Amino acid sequence: MMKTVFALACLLAASAAADVCFNDVSNECGRNTNSLALPSCNAVYGNFGRQGNVANELQAYANLHLRRSYEFLLSSAYYHNYQVNRPGFSKLFRKLADDSWAKTIELIKHVTKRGGTMDFHSRSPQEATEEKNNTIELQELESLARSLDIQKELAERAFFIHQEATRNNHKTHDPEIAQYLEEEFIEDHAKTIRDLAGHTSDLKQFITSNGGNDLSVSLFLFDEYLQKIA
Amino acid sequence: MKTFLLIVATVLAVCSSAFATQCNVNPVTIPKQWITMSQGCRGAVRKQVQMEVAASVQYLAMAAHFSKDSVNRPGFAKLFFEASSEEREHALKLIEYLLMRGELTTNVTSLITIRAPEHKYWSSGQAALEEALKMETEVTKAIRNVIVKCEQDREDNDNNDYHLVDYLTGEFLEEQYKGQRDIAGKASTLKKMMDRHSALGEFIFDKKLLGMDI
Ligand SMILES: [Fe+2]
Ligand SMILES: [Fe+2]
Repeated sequence: MMKTVFALACLLAASAAADVCFNDVSNECGRNTNSLALPSCNAVYGNFGRQGNVANELQAYANLHLRRSYEFLLSSAYYHNYQVNRPGFSKLFRKLADDSWAKTIELIKHVTKRGGTMDFHSRSPQEATEEKNNTIELQELESLARSLDIQKELAERAFFIHQEATRNNHKTHDPEIAQYLEEEFIEDHAKTIRDLAGHTSDLKQFITSNGGNDLSVSLFLFDEYLQKIA
Repeated sequence: MKTFLLIVATVLAVCSSAFATQCNVNPVTIPKQWITMSQGCRGAVRKQVQMEVAASVQYLAMAAHFSKDSVNRPGFAKLFFEASSEEREHALKLIEYLLMRGELTTNVTSLITIRAPEHKYWSSGQAALEEALKMETEVTKAIRNVIVKCEQDREDNDNNDYHLVDYLTGEFLEEQYKGQRDIAGKASTLKKMMDRHSALGEFIFDKKLLGMDI
């Protein structure tokens, strides 16, 4: 008996949830006013927004891309000043900046696609509140290392949101977000990270081999190489 | 994966501690007489870079607003996303100019700070276009002030930076005036369309912005 009542209640709840926009329309159109309040006629479905977490994370992810994109832009600028003068490194950072900028726009579009409102103040609880020492005026290996760390941060944040959106959390389960992250972000991250890690390995060898005597010519040639591939 | 992390960590540890110069080539100095931008002019251009970046973020917020399900104006969203990327390009052009003149060897990190946009809600497409026009007018005024500073830097023997002044006047002001005319034209057309059929007017104008014929 108890079970039947419970099942019935659930059924009612489910059907109510499915018709909320229609109910809004039915109720509101019958009134004789010149306004329509249709709060349920929106693009929000599933758990996006209800729990807030995935929705907020996605906005924070957009904001993170925005900040990182301008940081990479500054790195690219720094590497193009007449003293540092490494056009290959500059090109590499410029590409990271452009990619991150495109993803910022892409994420904002997706937030609104799912019925969210983009909040430019959103931060993920995953982020440290104050970032320490984020100077971009670094020498070659340091700036590659910093880029590698940032790309991993972006990749691991995607994993985190994906995890929220998938099996581990029934309350935030959202397969659309999971597949979106896989297709638009996760695939590319692996390559970017592998490439940057490879660059640091190359630089490491230039630094350590032959007592470091090859370094200045090596860096010059490596920069020429970056100009070709980036 | 772990190995890579280890390599990076080790390399970094080695670089930043005992052998501070092991990982890089010693900096060199070459004569600096060719670097001739005055300090005040340089500062004015740097501020302008930040203003262009702030405009790019403000346009992002406009685009985000018109992308919302409850607003649903994809044409306006497209217009403002494109405007946002254009502002970013303006920042880039100024940065490239500074680099050409021998600048940005130091204090690069502080050149750009990202702040959340000031406005995030617009009551209509018309309101957003008018705000865009106001914003562009402020940018134009700011560029004019950079020109004034660079044409006669009173703190630096009235130094006149002819080339930068020409560049700002020819490239930047030209684009500002054309851009302002474009927004003003759009705002006028939209306002006329909204005169008696406001909902339909904005709907049709939005689709026109999308490049659609209806
Ligand atoms: Fe601009
Ligand atoms: Fe503009």
